[in-house]
Amino acid sequence: MEALSNQILVVVTFAFLAASVLYLCHWVLKTELFGWAASIVTWVALAALTASIVLRWLASYQLGIGHAPFSNLFESLVFFAWTLAVIYLIIELVTKLRTIGVFAVPLAFLSLLYALSLDPAIKPLLPALKSNWLIAHVITCFLGYAGFGVSAALSLMYLVTGQHKQAGTPRAQLLDDLIYQTVVLGFILLTAGIVTGSIWANSAWGTYWSWDPKEVWSLITWLVYAALLHSRYMRGWQGVRVAVFSLVGFACVLFTYFGVNLLLSGLHSYATGKG
Amino acid sequence: MSKGSQSSSFGQAIWNFFSSVKLSFSLLLILALTSIAGTLIPQKEAASVYLRAFGEAGWRLVQALGLNDMYHAAWFRLILAALAVNLVICSLNRLPTTFKLMRRDPEEDLASMRKPRQRFTLPGAPSENLAAAEKALTRVGRVQQGQTPQGLVLFAQKGAWSRLGVYVVHLSVLVILAGALVGNFLGFAGSVNIEQGQTVDHIILDSRQPKKLDFALRLNKFTISYYPSGMPSEYRSEVTFLKNGQPVKSASLIVNDPAEFQGIDFYQASYGESLNLKVSYQKGDKTLEAVLSNQHWRQLPDGAYAAVADYRKSIKMGDKYSGPFARIVYQGQQGESQSFNAFKPGAGMPSAGPISFAILGASSVPYSGLQVKYDPGVWFIWVGCTLMVIGFFMAFYFAHRKVWVRLSPTEQGRTRVELAGGTNKNRPGLTRLLARLGAELGGREQQAE
Repeated sequence: MEALSNQILVVVTFAFLAASVLYLCHWVLKTELFGWAASIVTWVALAALTASIVLRWLASYQLGIGHAPFSNLFESLVFFAWTLAVIYLIIELVTKLRTIGVFAVPLAFLSLLYALSLDPAIKPLLPALKSNWLIAHVITCFLGYAGFGVSAALSLMYLVTGQHKQAGTPRAQLLDDLIYQTVVLGFILLTAGIVTGSIWANSAWGTYWSWDPKEVWSLITWLVYAALLHSRYMRGWQGVRVAVFSLVGFACVLFTYFGVNLLLSGLHSYATGKG
Repeated sequence: MSKGSQSSSFGQAIWNFFSSVKLSFSLLLILALTSIAGTLIPQKEAASVYLRAFGEAGWRLVQALGLNDMYHAAWFRLILAALAVNLVICSLNRLPTTFKLMRRDPEEDLASMRKPRQRFTLPGAPSENLAAAEKALTRVGRVQQGQTPQGLVLFAQKGAWSRLGVYVVHLSVLVILAGALVGNFLGFAGSVNIEQGQTVDHIILDSRQPKKLDFALRLNKFTISYYPSGMPSEYRSEVTFLKNGQPVKSASLIVNDPAEFQGIDFYQASYGESLNLKVSYQKGDKTLEAVLSNQHWRQLPDGAYAAVADYRKSIKMGDKYSGPFARIVYQGQQGESQSFNAFKPGAGMPSAGPISFAILGASSVPYSGLQVKYDPGVWFIWVGCTLMVIGFFMAFYFAHRKVWVRLSPTEQGRTRVELAGGTNKNRPGLTRLLARLGAELGGREQQAE
């Protein structure tokens, strides 16, 4: 079951690559057929990815060490790809804008590609990770990261397609609004992620906040997005400024996620690839 | 200029400074930028760590700026305090306007209809279409109506309370900061190592000061269970809390599942083996026996203190000596500190002098390291976090929307319907609402004018 789950993952990774290429063809050649194909491939890949995660979950019970598949870097990367695909596809359903896929779906592909380079073995849980808050913490954090990721993809699209030169057109306004909406979604979920993390820390380590590098970087990310929201509400910032801000915010997210584990040391050490 | 007005204009200047959103924006980014330093520079390490990493001059700079414990440094706390003041003053500054907008007289709203966004006509006179218009508007809120020179106006609004969302969020930040302060001033944190079978009534605070509890804690048993792969799966301490020597409560402590007694929480944090070294202790012409530990000081029969700094089960020094070796730290009654080498009795090269130690035997006992915490501020934190999430939903996902419907007669004896709306955020949402209302009102007979 574990092997099947991993085999599906390899296929899904390349399906996301194929979808990215199809979205790109759709964008460059303006052919509807490519757009449809890209959407279908992404939906099928998401379904298969869901199956792979569920199989891994079941497999862990077969091994007698049953736990939700959110316990190390490999599992988090797989889940991150899943949340990215879910949030992107919802936006595609609502807006019918397939161009966003050119920028969003490659993120899911890269996340899985990184996962494939790591050891996929299902390992038992460390005592510190045995908590129901693990599931709430990981789900909220990664949905938040994915919200910010899609927002960054939208921002890149905004800048690359030169929307700022045509600010005021419905297209530019829609993109600007979507960048904002996805930041709000990410912000609420990141907040929930930090809160569930501190509840958990309070029961595991006896302190809800210990200024651990991972905690501090999540706070830095939170502060950057809080500044973005204030600039928009109170100073009316939009367009290029918010797009650039959102990209800076996502750089903080990436550092919180990868940089802290790879470059700094702290309490979140089990989230490294070494496991 | 009088002194009073001078001071009030100074007060005004301070007020204006702290009520600026530019300041909030800058403080948020300053906090973000400065926080990075503490994740790059190791925190709360020994001086030698910084000396090795940054050199003499670097270490002096780190020390001067408090970068070795920057999140507790005065300047960092000051930025947090400035943000709190900024939050309070910004909110106080805006709250009256918000209340005015929320409790505006409906008469005033009726008279100030916005520019119509939709226009169409319906058959029949305005009075015949009134009921339908009223019914459609009830989905927005309670309907007010009034006659204006341009026609009959219906007005409804919803979500006025959502204007408070931002204040709920700001309040939540203050509640969380207050919780941290309460924990800081009224709470304490420390740790204690207890050997299996031992009872303790002291903990060591994080500041390294001992603190006496008004109850005692006994470790009955410490166990580690393993997965088949050999990885530890659970650390468990069976403890009993005693009051005046009487057992009151027993608990099992595992990671993620602490135990509480009299408001103080105990967490499974570490474990190890504690050494009990039985020694004979010769001072002058007296020989005494004592059991020393490598975990803490033990009082010797003569009132001095001693502890084991180093212990080897067996060492070999050519053919001169083979057997156990220990290094014992000794603190006399006057506080003078010395260390002694100890070997098996009558062998090796014990430190010369009026005092000497010899090793009689050694045994080890498992001990469990517990984290101890008393934090009366923690409930502020959970209340603050809950408020924050509620505030976000109020602020981000609800808007204060106002809708006007004006019905006026046309020359053909039909009714001209005009829809207008206003909102404090999410314009596309308002446009959708107006479109829905228009469709509901006009039905199939709707025709654009």
